[in-house]
Amino acid sequence: MSQPRTRLVLRPEEASIPAGHGLHRLPLIGGAIGILGIVGVAVLGGGQPQQMYAAWLVAFLFFLSLALGSLYFVLIHYAVQAGWGIVVRRLAEIGASTIPLFALLFVPIILGMRSLYPWTVPGAADHDAALRWKAPFLNPGFFLTRAGIYFALWSIMALAWSRASRRQDATGDLAISERLRRFSGPALLLLALTQTFAAFDWIMSMTPDWYSTIFGVYFFSGAFVSAAALLSLVVVLLRGSGLLRDVIGIGHLHDLGKLVFAFSCFWAYIAFSQFFLIWYGNIPEETIWYRARLDGSWKAASAILAVGHFIVPFFFFMGRTMKRRPLALASGAAWVLLMHLLDIHWLVMPTVRKGVAAPSLLEIAALLGVGGVFVATAGWLMRRQPLVPVKDPRLPESLSMSEA
Amino acid sequence: MALLTHDLPPGPDYGLLAEFERVDDLYRACERVREAGYTRWDAHTPFPVHGLDGAMGLKSSLLPWIVLGMGLTGAALGFGLQVWVHSYEYPLVISGKPYFSWPAYVPITFELGVLFGALGAVFGMFAINRLPMHWHPLFNSEQFERSSDDRFFISIESWDPRFDAVATRRLLESLGAREVTTVGAA
Amino acid sequence: MTRTHTDEFENPVDRRPALILDKPEFRSITDAVVAPLDAPTPIGWWFVFLPALCLLGLLGIAVSWLFWEGIGVWGLNIPVGWAWDITNFVFWVGIGHAGTLISAILFLFRQRWRTSINRSAEAMTIFAVMCALIFPGIHVGRVWLAYWLAPVPNQMGTWPNFRSPLLWDVFAVSIYGTVSVLFWYMGLIPDLATMRDRAKSKIRRLVYGIFALGWRSSNRHWQHYEVAYLILAGLATPLVLSVHSIVSMDFAVSQLPGWHTTIFPPYFVAGAIFSGFAMVLTLMVICRTAFRLENIITLRTFDYMSKIMLVTGSMVGYAYAMEFFIAWYSGNPYEMFAFTNRALGPYAWAYWTMISCNVLSPQIFWFKRARTSIPILFVASIVVNIGMWFERFVIIVTSLHRGFLPSTWGYFRPTIWDVSCLLGSFGLFFTMFCLFVRFVPMVATAEVKAILPQADPHHAPRPERTAASTLRPEPVGGGAH
Repeated sequence: MSQPRTRLVLRPEEASIPAGHGLHRLPLIGGAIGILGIVGVAVLGGGQPQQMYAAWLVAFLFFLSLALGSLYFVLIHYAVQAGWGIVVRRLAEIGASTIPLFALLFVPIILGMRSLYPWTVPGAADHDAALRWKAPFLNPGFFLTRAGIYFALWSIMALAWSRASRRQDATGDLAISERLRRFSGPALLLLALTQTFAAFDWIMSMTPDWYSTIFGVYFFSGAFVSAAALLSLVVVLLRGSGLLRDVIGIGHLHDLGKLVFAFSCFWAYIAFSQFFLIWYGNIPEETIWYRARLDGSWKAASAILAVGHFIVPFFFFMGRTMKRRPLALASGAAWVLLMHLLDIHWLVMPTVRKGVAAPSLLEIAALLGVGGVFVATAGWLMRRQPLVPVKDPRLPESLSMSEA
Repeated sequence: MALLTHDLPPGPDYGLLAEFERVDDLYRACERVREAGYTRWDAHTPFPVHGLDGAMGLKSSLLPWIVLGMGLTGAALGFGLQVWVHSYEYPLVISGKPYFSWPAYVPITFELGVLFGALGAVFGMFAINRLPMHWHPLFNSEQFERSSDDRFFISIESWDPRFDAVATRRLLESLGAREVTTVGAA
Repeated sequence: MTRTHTDEFENPVDRRPALILDKPEFRSITDAVVAPLDAPTPIGWWFVFLPALCLLGLLGIAVSWLFWEGIGVWGLNIPVGWAWDITNFVFWVGIGHAGTLISAILFLFRQRWRTSINRSAEAMTIFAVMCALIFPGIHVGRVWLAYWLAPVPNQMGTWPNFRSPLLWDVFAVSIYGTVSVLFWYMGLIPDLATMRDRAKSKIRRLVYGIFALGWRSSNRHWQHYEVAYLILAGLATPLVLSVHSIVSMDFAVSQLPGWHTTIFPPYFVAGAIFSGFAMVLTLMVICRTAFRLENIITLRTFDYMSKIMLVTGSMVGYAYAMEFFIAWYSGNPYEMFAFTNRALGPYAWAYWTMISCNVLSPQIFWFKRARTSIPILFVASIVVNIGMWFERFVIIVTSLHRGFLPSTWGYFRPTIWDVSCLLGSFGLFFTMFCLFVRFVPMVATAEVKAILPQADPHHAPRPERTAASTLRPEPVGGGAH
């Protein structure tokens, strides 16, 4: 039972996209799709601003959650000193490095604030005591300031960690790893708090009367499992296109699969906790939010979400075999991403489209728009650096687990 | 299936017992014993040794399937009991909710699934391993006491079709065993 | 058992001493752990056991008096219908969670440092669950009807209300206890075999032998054993998360401000792990010195444990912040009152004790020096447990004592019997723990041996190699791998 010799060192060229490889065209393809999508949104959304901005918000939140989840992945990796995932960490860093882009993609949401957030409409608080109470927090000025703070902090964290990791490609400097580890703890705290309030601001306040203390955790759970799924999918696609085959091995795929399994269970736990406690207490102030999501065809959408986001991945990723077969892992990961998209759709759309759950052409256009730009940016970043941190001091350890 | 005692056929000797000091010696020895075609043999280690299952050529365990079956049974029992009690046997209107309130049945369903799964894992493992088995010829050997401390052993039963008192002993000695002894069956 | 592929890689970022110090042989692990069990009882053991036994007696007296006279001997009354009884219940269940986390979750994450503490932690879980289960049992009032908690119809043909969280608790906590015992015992079997084989007296050999089930270290047995261990770890992980979530639902499914909030399940779980690790830390600090196990339960272990406490303590702090913010954001006057009353009302002293013990004191663990200093670890772990007891007290009592109707407002004061039950439960806990360390190997010796470098058949260090190199070149060619 002889196995291939495990590599212990990596040259930058072996981890980068070779010249002439198809992936070099990714920014162009992504950019084209993005422009197509944005034009589609403008054309289709012309007469229905609320639907247009909501569709954009869904697309924005979906791809942002992938980027934020990737940032969590990187920071947690450093904080807990995990060894297995060094080989995939650079890919997560690339995902996280797209965050500054989202500051730009946020502009349509600022433009459409009045359609999305009832409390931004001037005079809304005049006849609503609850909105008057919340006005010190829910006012456009503070809302925009907070958004600025979120993007600033997230960008600083994402770029700081990514840049330092890139610098390490040249020097292999141990001190860089040590420094990144030391600051990952406080960074995680900041990320958790800012991401929580971003979820409150951008999603929860669409229904300003409603509130849930677990909402920030809920958004995190979806973001993290999707980032793990995205990582799995990207790794399998890269290997499929001939890259990194002897660097990222079945053992790493298995570990990524375990992460997807565990965190889809975690998502289900958080989602059920929120639903269950509100259902059991049966207080109208809280149940209105779920009532909107059980109205008309949203009921079916909720059922599909529960089964698709939990039951299906649970049985799919439970056994050993599925996690160790690249095609199976990629399919399962793609499914999880689709379910996460459904989750975001289910969070946002019921407020602006009662009773009708089916996604519209507008939403698809928005997804192409935001997604195209996201993929273009990620593709551009992938071209500029090795896809694996080639001189990370712990790389040999991670490489040794390729068949684990 | 024998409980507490083994069900080996009668015979004067149980077999041969080879003692090893180092785990890598044991590992290589196991591969050789497997290649030599023995089937009624075993390795004994104070802790589980990584990769030894493969070296011995063991087939994968059926335990996960037992656990899955038990777990699903437990969950079904839990859910079924609650549905039956609250919808049929003694239905009561509780906090204004319908008789069939499935969210409220989730905690107990989950817990019973886990309980049955755990029972399946532990008692399934005992059943597959034929434990408890308090009497076994290997306990006749004084050296064998170190199998739970710091030494590694290979035991080959005399009922193995390829067993030969001389040839098997020579094989074990050639594998780096520190000592090879015959274990009585009594 | 922990399979490892990275035994030969030291983490260069985290230059640390080895997990097990002093490069021991397999036998020296056995000797270190088992020797105290063979030796005569040390005098220090009696200094802990006898007072614990007295407190256990106190528990017996307090519970008997409670049964005879009724719940009135406690300080409970309208409006505070639950106070120390349920506080103690949640406190002990929470402490139990660390054991399962160390055994199960750290195993799934391949953390080898768990092997020196998991046996004691699992035992601690079992004893904590025993203490926890006392309180729901005795607080029912008409104890002779306690069987109404069982899933069987009573004499009137009515069944328990399976839709009530109180009944979910019965299932969750007793199943948790059962699975913990199964997991602990299964892990113990190989070590009991060691004890049996080393036993000098016939009685010891017999007793250890019976419980060792005839274990003969067979690799065919190890194969299924390891699968069962992995499965139990995989089952125990969601079990741990679910048990304390279900306990939190005792409060969260209600409509009471301060109780009804969606973050309770994960918040309680984080708090449970927080307090549980603190208790394991307290116990291990004592035991490692008392039994001279400093080379096995090392400062590195404590470093990791205190980091976990820092993480879970931060999660608890996050939850406090969320509750506070959302209480304001909701605009619900009752919700807001519940929280301002906690901070500024008659129980403010309890609230601020909680904040300083749970939020402020763990901050010391940002500093490595604190994480590896025995006096700081010992004091901090006790402070954290005091804080976590107060957290449950604050949640329960402050939310109840000033409800929706001001004419029902009151102030709960514990009686001597409340205090006796709490102290008595510590008596039960420490009595059981003392018996455990006296008769059972408190370190999982088989598991510790399995993480030593010489346990890996592919990379076992041969005498001629120097200890200097941390990275080893792969063998060329078709060597067994």
